[in-house]
Amino acid sequence: MLMEPDGTGLWQAIIEDFQTLHPDIRVQLVEGPAPTDTREDMYSVSFLSGAAAYDIVYCDVIWTPKFAAAGWLLDLTDRASARDTADFLPADLHAGTYRGRLYRIPAFTDAGVLYYRKDLVSSPPATFDELEQLSRTFQSSDRSGFLWQGKQYEGLVTVFLEVLWGYGGDWIDPETREVSLDQPEALRALDFLKRSLGTISPTAVTTYAEEDTRTLFQNERAIFLRNWPYVWTAMAQSPLRKEGRVGMAPVVHAPGQRSAATLGGWGFAISKFTRNPEAAWQVVQYLTSREQLVKIQSRMGRIPARRSMLPPEFTPILESARMRPAIPEYAQASDILQRWLSAALTGRVDPEEALKKAAHETRSLLGTGA
Amino acid sequence: MKKPSRSFVRELSWFVPAAVLLLALVVYPVLRTIGLSFFHKNLLTGFNSQFAGLENFARIITDSRFGSSLWVTVLFTLISVTVEFGVGLLLALCASSLRQWRTAVRVILLIPWTLPTAVIAVLWAWMLNDQYGGVNAVLLRVGLIHSPVTWLAEPATAMAAVVFADVWKTAPFVFLILYAGLQNIPRELYDAIEVDGGGAWAGFRYVTWPHLLPFTFVALIFRIVQAFAVFDLIWVMTGGGPGGSTETLSVYTYRTYMRYLDFGYGAASVVTTVVILALIAGGLYRLVVTKYERAF
Repeated sequence: MLMEPDGTGLWQAIIEDFQTLHPDIRVQLVEGPAPTDTREDMYSVSFLSGAAAYDIVYCDVIWTPKFAAAGWLLDLTDRASARDTADFLPADLHAGTYRGRLYRIPAFTDAGVLYYRKDLVSSPPATFDELEQLSRTFQSSDRSGFLWQGKQYEGLVTVFLEVLWGYGGDWIDPETREVSLDQPEALRALDFLKRSLGTISPTAVTTYAEEDTRTLFQNERAIFLRNWPYVWTAMAQSPLRKEGRVGMAPVVHAPGQRSAATLGGWGFAISKFTRNPEAAWQVVQYLTSREQLVKIQSRMGRIPARRSMLPPEFTPILESARMRPAIPEYAQASDILQRWLSAALTGRVDPEEALKKAAHETRSLLGTGA
Repeated sequence: MKKPSRSFVRELSWFVPAAVLLLALVVYPVLRTIGLSFFHKNLLTGFNSQFAGLENFARIITDSRFGSSLWVTVLFTLISVTVEFGVGLLLALCASSLRQWRTAVRVILLIPWTLPTAVIAVLWAWMLNDQYGGVNAVLLRVGLIHSPVTWLAEPATAMAAVVFADVWKTAPFVFLILYAGLQNIPRELYDAIEVDGGGAWAGFRYVTWPHLLPFTFVALIFRIVQAFAVFDLIWVMTGGGPGGSTETLSVYTYRTYMRYLDFGYGAASVVTTVVILALIAGGLYRLVVTKYERAF
């Protein structure tokens, strides 16, 4: 199995525990590179050659439709027990499903969170206007208002989607494959992000990814931070959290709309080319069991995608989590959106023009009107 | 008709192994790629081939990403080949005027060219790392910059970085070709120029340069074709980023194949790339041939 870099050594430990329980099954852990899209490509290359290089796929939510549509994953619908499927979070389970069949067993869930400074802001903002107001009131020369991930990568898409959904808009309908990027809601969403640059957000956010923004926020250089749940664990030793000066809230939305966080997360799938589907399934079951997820949660701060294990402080946020469009061409659609969003945010293209172009290119990609 | 002689048949049989190899490894993939470019074959079609006519090529024309990676490729090729040529020529002239240490200098100059490109890419990516890189450390100490520069995170500096790494690796190649060319020039010609009262410049202008032209052509064609198809260096150093600012045609094509699993469109973009490259190489060939003939 190909995994993320095993920095804590925990994955190896878990695999060794599994081996002691099942001496007849040999599991080899391959530590892949940290960038997730490199690992995605590594899987693709091995699948394309039809070789069973990896039996188990450590699978990001957004890969499932692509791998499943390509016919590379084993259908797990009949293997998953009813007791388990009842416990997994519906959104995560749904994200592992393609055309009604289950291909990926969820392990961890992720969703966008708005972190805020409790000592400055008594109650978190609910709407875009409130966020802007509070930022303007409390920001100073060495403390910016709102930090988000604006670098041209998948993170920018997740941020934009939360704003877009918060305005009641949408990107791609996975069923009809209709593209709504040239609708007024999308322009409002992009305008919000663009307007924030240099006013409530540093202009450099267009080069920031998760860790850049977390470091700044942790060093008390911002009032609001949009990020993922891992930040909560990462800040456990920082004065901000020890002194109770930081809080978590759902991402903001427009009046009359609902907050919608982008769903992320990881799970396990099994390669269609595996020679040992039974053994692979036993490993997957073991890895997604409560006992193992507890260990990973406490060591790595990942949130188990099981209802019975959800930390109460995250429940309201994760309940509103929405899936990115489950289409096989996701990677390409996301690249189109990233390019045009980034072009608009860095002022190379007018926002309206950028969204029109993005909508046009996405439509020709999906074959829904040229 | 006359029956082919036995020796002709035997001679033909010598040709068979090479022909089979060429057919299997070159002709078949090329024909298949060309064929594939007229089909839709991707996730949507379930990897089945559906005849597409010229639709893939029509999509290339409207694809802004293809356009921008074409521009990046042309820019990369233009700058890096120009600089490489200049540096290579200078090195060749200097090295051939040396009286001692010639072999040592030649060996040292050729080292970068013998290293695998991926290794060079990793090496320069580390040298240019904003936190731990040697380049920033030196510039900071000298006082040329006051805070670390994120070389690979800004479009302009990232482009400069990949061009620099490419020049570092391949200027020695240009050097090697031109140096070989310089060895072929008879000394008497320089003596003749001297007798006629010409200086060093006249020697270069009327003897060195005309004699080097054919070698120049070889070096340029090789370098242009290689630079136009650059993949490993950019893939390892920047992955085409930031924001597609160093994404060349081959990087984009690789993504189309391996990441988007769109084989028909990927094939069409390969074919388009080759056609563009053939036009450039053909144009250069004509240019040099006419110049070369005029020089004599």
